[in-house]
Amino acid sequence: MSARYGMVIDVDRCTGCGACMMACAAENNVPALPQATARTGLTPLLVRKVSNGNNGETRREAFIPIMCMHCEHDTPCVKVCPQQAVEVDEATGIVMQMAQRCLGCRYCMTACPYHARYFNWWDPAWPPGMEKSLNPGVAVRMRGVVEKCNLCHARLHSAKEKAAVAGKREIDPADYVPACVEACSTNAIHFGDLGDANDPVSKEAHSPQAFRLLARLGTEPKLYYKSNEAWVRALAEPNSPQASEVQRG
Amino acid sequence: MWKSVAWDAINEGKAMKVTRRDLLVWGAGAAAGLLATPVPWKVLDDVSIWSQNWPWIPQPTRGPVEVKQSFCTLCPKACGLRVRMANGWAVGVAGSSTHPISRGALCPLAFAAHQLNWHPQRLRNVRHGSSLSTWAEAQSAFAKASKEGPVVVIDGYSGRAASSVLETFAGKQGGSYRVVATPELRAFTPYEQWTGIPAASLGYDFENARTIVSFGAPLLDGWGTPGRLTRLWAESGAGLSDPQLRLIQIDSSLSRTAARAWQWIEIREGSESALASGLAGALLEQNLVPAHSPVPSMTLAESSAQAGLSVERIRELARLVVAKTPALVVARDDDPAIAALNVLLGSLGNRGGIVPHSEGVKPYVAAESAIGNARAVLIDASVPWEFVPQVEAEIFRFAAWDGGATKADWLLPAPGFLEDLTDLPTAPGCSAQTYGVAPALVKATIEVQSAAQFLCSLDASLPTTAKIIDSRCEDLFRRREGNLYGQQIAAIDKVSSVQSFKEQLWKGAVWAGEASLSKAFACHLKEWPAQTRPVSAETWATQWKPVVMPPLASKLYQESGLREPPRRNA
Repeated sequence: MSARYGMVIDVDRCTGCGACMMACAAENNVPALPQATARTGLTPLLVRKVSNGNNGETRREAFIPIMCMHCEHDTPCVKVCPQQAVEVDEATGIVMQMAQRCLGCRYCMTACPYHARYFNWWDPAWPPGMEKSLNPGVAVRMRGVVEKCNLCHARLHSAKEKAAVAGKREIDPADYVPACVEACSTNAIHFGDLGDANDPVSKEAHSPQAFRLLARLGTEPKLYYKSNEAWVRALAEPNSPQASEVQRG
Repeated sequence: MWKSVAWDAINEGKAMKVTRRDLLVWGAGAAAGLLATPVPWKVLDDVSIWSQNWPWIPQPTRGPVEVKQSFCTLCPKACGLRVRMANGWAVGVAGSSTHPISRGALCPLAFAAHQLNWHPQRLRNVRHGSSLSTWAEAQSAFAKASKEGPVVVIDGYSGRAASSVLETFAGKQGGSYRVVATPELRAFTPYEQWTGIPAASLGYDFENARTIVSFGAPLLDGWGTPGRLTRLWAESGAGLSDPQLRLIQIDSSLSRTAARAWQWIEIREGSESALASGLAGALLEQNLVPAHSPVPSMTLAESSAQAGLSVERIRELARLVVAKTPALVVARDDDPAIAALNVLLGSLGNRGGIVPHSEGVKPYVAAESAIGNARAVLIDASVPWEFVPQVEAEIFRFAAWDGGATKADWLLPAPGFLEDLTDLPTAPGCSAQTYGVAPALVKATIEVQSAAQFLCSLDASLPTTAKIIDSRCEDLFRRREGNLYGQQIAAIDKVSSVQSFKEQLWKGAVWAGEASLSKAFACHLKEWPAQTRPVSAETWATQWKPVVMPPLASKLYQESGLREPPRRNA
């Protein structure tokens, strides 16, 4: 099996409902702690609100889901990790974070140009009994380590197991869909193999409307965005005038 | 040299003395040396691993995982669910792509709905005033009250089998049955008054509309069955300069819907009704609609002044509305002036307009209307928590969660999410009739009763919810219309027997009838409706406010600023 899993997110379709954030947290047993804030919380997928900077009826707003970009080249977090707790999986292209190896030094958080990494400050906790509602396929999140999106790796494991039971070497693409993709009520998030030229997602990634955030850094992120609106595409580079309008969502 | 000094000292019989300085030097050396070894890093690493295994760290439940089809029962939108179960507990929720209306989409809260059953605010005991009580005492108090005078029964989700139990009880007892309608349902009230067709049997034919004009309705933010319109909007060219479906949002602020709509028309807060009158005037003035329609008493200039839009802008909006037809106007609430625009545009009973989907639906009596004399009021768990009946009577309120201070003499614990058998009639706003059954997938960990079960236990002659569902399934099967959406889509005449039909429904399949697009109905306005109260500005929780939020919802408003925090219940 060799794939380069990635996404194309159609920004024009995103309504900022937050279903992807909720589905991500529920799937990955991310706790909601009363003391967590926007600075200290754990949101492996975060939807940010952006605007074109105008006022009145000409003002436009859009929502951009931000998560680990799964950089393919010179992956910044991999380069700085002293523990080899981060690596790019050769077979899938997924940037993996191994919580058991992580020291919590947070170099990777500093290195990540997308601010897509979060430090887990607290032991996971739920109201009594609520642990029965946790996903049995995923461990609870450890305290003291850095967390990020792993493209719902547990689902990839399940798909592999299913394929193995059926005596197949390759997984059925329908069996491996990350939770955010499944949850999107407007089908704005498209997931697939960017390495397969025939995959619809790969074709979409090469459309004129597609763009990547901070592409000039040369880290080859595997998360693409797409928009018909020029002001949204202009946000891809931070020096554009519109980018200064970006608000934390 | 040092060797000889030490040797000399030993020879001289002096014991080697360890000084404080030696200890400090040794300690500093050891600390520096340790840093050059992997020990501290390994210890830190191990502590990190151990901390995952402390006995107080919660662990997920274990057991074989299976997926069951069901429906979300949190609100009357009736979205299809795929529920992942492990060891008898729901451990994950996702949308069911086979559902013909919700099409795999859910609102954000539904993804954590399975956690609500363990919410700290779960109502666990019968409460009488500020003290704990028992089911037996509650039953005896209710039985006594119902003998002494009329009982008003209030429902928040009409049309269910349980609603039928509540209504039958109220009828037998000489009381009355009232409904707290959702804003989507209330928006049809003017048409019910003008045509006599019950509001609950009307729906919007969005699928065939080409222009939707929304007066503040949060169409892309949880309005109606969330997946229906959002998917349609997305597939109809969202973000294109000329999409197949034009969504014009008239709003006083840049709401989530306004931000993503094809056009946002900014008006002054509360001037929706005035703009509707002005828009009607502009449509008539420019001969864009048939001339025999009643003329609003408000002039275009007055409307312009109230809405904060220029007269020319209103004229331009009128041209925009009819540029791509069929055009459909959606109101946020029951504002008759906005509803009258659909009459003007000829949208009633036509493709892409407002169409009837069911027959035999009874008009509902709004819970807000005067209750009169009542000895007791029984409130079903589906009624929004903020609804408080304005009546001097003993109040028996069923609720799965305690939303804080409320006026209720008795608080009775109701089944939580997927803990009770219920059926799901057509969601408000749908253009086709649907029916589904949500069995109790998880067991309640506390002693709970629904209002229908409570009444059935008092009056054995009442039909149970299960019996009513059974007979409804049989009636639907006998009609031999529509399709069954389960693992596959099957026309109902391909289903071999009523038993098979029932079994499939109980496994989460949904029956959907055909949209009655050809059933035109007459509606003539004698005069333009008077302006009513202003509607409130949109907030994310105004459409449907759960009693409590799933803890994970804090990701949206506390751990990020994506949403505004929910308003606390008073």
